[in-house]
Order: sequence, then C-alpha cells, then structure tokens
Amino acid sequence: MSDPAETPRWRRSVFNRFVLVPAGIAVAVALWNVYVSTHDHGLVAGRVVDTAGRPVAGATVALWVLNFTTYVEKTRATTDSEGRFVITDNDSHNIRLAAEKPGIGRSPRVPVRLYFRAEDIELREPLVLAASN
Amino acid sequence: MHRYPRWPIHVALTGVSFVMLIPFYWVLKTSVTGENIFAYPPSVLPKAPHPFYYVDVWYYIPFARYFLNSVVVSALAVAANVIFNAMAGYALTRDFPAKRFVLLLFLSCMMVPFQATIIPAYLITGRLGLLDSYWGLALPQFSTIVCIFVFKASFDAVPRSLIDAARIDGLSEWRIIWRVMMPLAKGAIATNVILGFIWSWNNFLWPLIVTRSAEMQTLPLGLARFLSYQEDTTGALYAFCIMVLAPGILLFLMAQKEFIRGLTSGATKG
Repeated sequence: MSDPAETPRWRRSVFNRFVLVPAGIAVAVALWNVYVSTHDHGLVAGRVVDTAGRPVAGATVALWVLNFTTYVEKTRATTDSEGRFVITDNDSHNIRLAAEKPGIGRSPRVPVRLYFRAEDIELREPLVLAASN
Repeated sequence: MHRYPRWPIHVALTGVSFVMLIPFYWVLKTSVTGENIFAYPPSVLPKAPHPFYYVDVWYYIPFARYFLNSVVVSALAVAANVIFNAMAGYALTRDFPAKRFVLLLFLSCMMVPFQATIIPAYLITGRLGLLDSYWGLALPQFSTIVCIFVFKASFDAVPRSLIDAARIDGLSEWRIIWRVMMPLAKGAIATNVILGFIWSWNNFLWPLIVTRSAEMQTLPLGLARFLSYQEDTTGALYAFCIMVLAPGILLFLMAQKEFIRGLTSGATKG
C-alpha cells in the first residue's frame, strides 16, 4: 500500500470525493441533457384497435395536456390504414390520449407520463375502441 | 482489546438510527408513490413507484432557477463564512485589550434570535442597495458566531511555537492564517462549509423578506409557492422536499468525517 504522502499532489487534489462526486453528477446531468435534446421532438405515436384487436383506420386520436390543474385538448390526429397515428407537436410531460371513431366507439382516456417535456414516445399498449366507452 | 462486548451498543445505535431514518424513508416513499400519508393501514413498501412526481416538480415551478439561486447564495455564504470566521477566530486566539469582553459579547449575541434583528438587517441591506440581489440574500449569513468559535477552538489547538516560528520567518498575520493555520484546520473548514451551506440552503425568513421578484426566490420560498399553487400534491410535495434536501444531505455525507472532527476539535485536552 502506497504512502499517501508519496501520492502526487495533483492526484490527491483530483481523485478525492469532493471532486469526483460533483464531477460524476455533472457528467450524469450532461449526458441526460444530451439525451433530452435528441429525444424532445414532441412525437407521440401509437396504434388504435377495436376490441378484437384489429387496426382501426380513420379513427381520431385526441391529445390532452395538463394545463396547471385541468387537462385541455391540444391537438388531434387520424389513424392510417394500419391503425397507426403520430402526433407531432406535444410539448407537455403530462398528457392523456383518447381515440374515437363513429360507429365503432371510443377508448378511455389513457394517462401518459413522460420523463421530460415533448419526449418522443411510442405507446406500448394500443388504444382500444369499444362501444361501451 | 475491549473488556466488554460492543455489540449491544451497536444494536442499540442501529435501532435508534432506524427510528430516526423512518421519517426520511416515509418522505422518500411518498415521493415515488403519492400514497396518502394518512392511509390506514400504512404500507411499508412502496407500491408501483415511479419518478414522475419529480418531473412534475421540475415543470410546475421554475425549479432550475430556484436551485441556481440557492446554489449561488449558499456558495457566497459558505465562502464568506470560511474567510470571515477564520479571520475572527484567529483574532480571538490573540491577546488584545478587552478580549474577555468581546468573547462575552459574542456569546451573549448568540442568544439574540435572528428574528429580532430582521428590521435593522433589512434597513442596512436596503441602504446598501442590495435588496432583491444575491449579495443581499447572502449578506446576513456571511458570518456566524458558532462557526467563529469552531475556528477559534481549532486554532487554539495549534502549538503557539508554530505561529512564533512563522512570525520569525517573516510571515504577516494574514499569511499566518492562510498558510499556517488553515491547512491545520480542515475539520473546522468542513464544519463551516456544512453549517454555512445548510443554514443558507434552508433559510426561509430572510429570502422571504429581502426578495421582491420571483426570479430571485430560493428553494424554500419555491416550496411555499408550490404549496400555494397546488392543492392535491402529496407525491409532488414530497418529491420537492427530497429535491431540496438532497444537496445538503449529499454535502454532509461527503464531509461528515471532517465535520465531526471540526465539531470535536478543542473539545478535549491533550
């Protein structure tokens, strides 16, 4: 084991917890900010299906964003032939999504929490249209 | 070699530590679950924890701005504490006329609560044109009597011959403090840093009085503002508490060895 007195002064100045812990935090924050800046295009993508699991084309998907204490509708998108939709202008971190198509039904409002504003996400579970909703 | 087993003491201390950590655990648990703290029976383990209450806090209020303000004010307070308290502590180790009176004055001033000095402090800060500024926020915390005595105790433990040798070598009093005394007083410095930081970081009353614009508010004021904005914020409120507490706890954990050494230096003879 080396004598601490023999350790170069610069090494003792750099490799101590008062430098390494803040430096580690700074690196983590920098990496997180890089990740955020490359994933904050406001894209919300997903699918809409019926109760049998078939894609629903032409369904309207509404996006609600939290406006301080209440949710207000911000934008709408329409599903394509495969039941997919993409919303491109979400700027919130706390949103709700719901789909609707006349003749088939509507889905419940699905709360979606994001790790940062305008985070790009792909919904894992599709929005399910049901006549009873 | 110990004449009696130490494990009973360790068991007792572990039990006491456990009891003291329960409130912290509860705050942490609520911050990731949002569970009603009055729920009965209480759940010990968090159910479906998530970090989104922390995200809410970050965006509900200008947390980054408050955090920056707190960091700047605390950094000013800590730097000033170390410099001014070291100077005062060194002066109190020297002999000068009416030294006992000054010591008694310092000790008696410790009994005057800060609330009693708020009006003159505010008027002085206003006359200096420092209201609603970082300097104005930090000014009353530039020096604390407790920390002066921490430095004094640490400096008293330095052999007198060392100071005399430095003086014979031609060092001025100023350089004796910074080149001789301070390297020997790391514990006192750590104590000053931690206490100065925590007192400044947690200060609520003075920032409430001296700030006028929302941009100059610090985290404790942000917490009050947050409470006034939101009604049902159990999870977010506790997440906010964790975010406010975390830097102080981190600083203490990093410097606890020096902190304890600084508090106990001068407490024993020999």
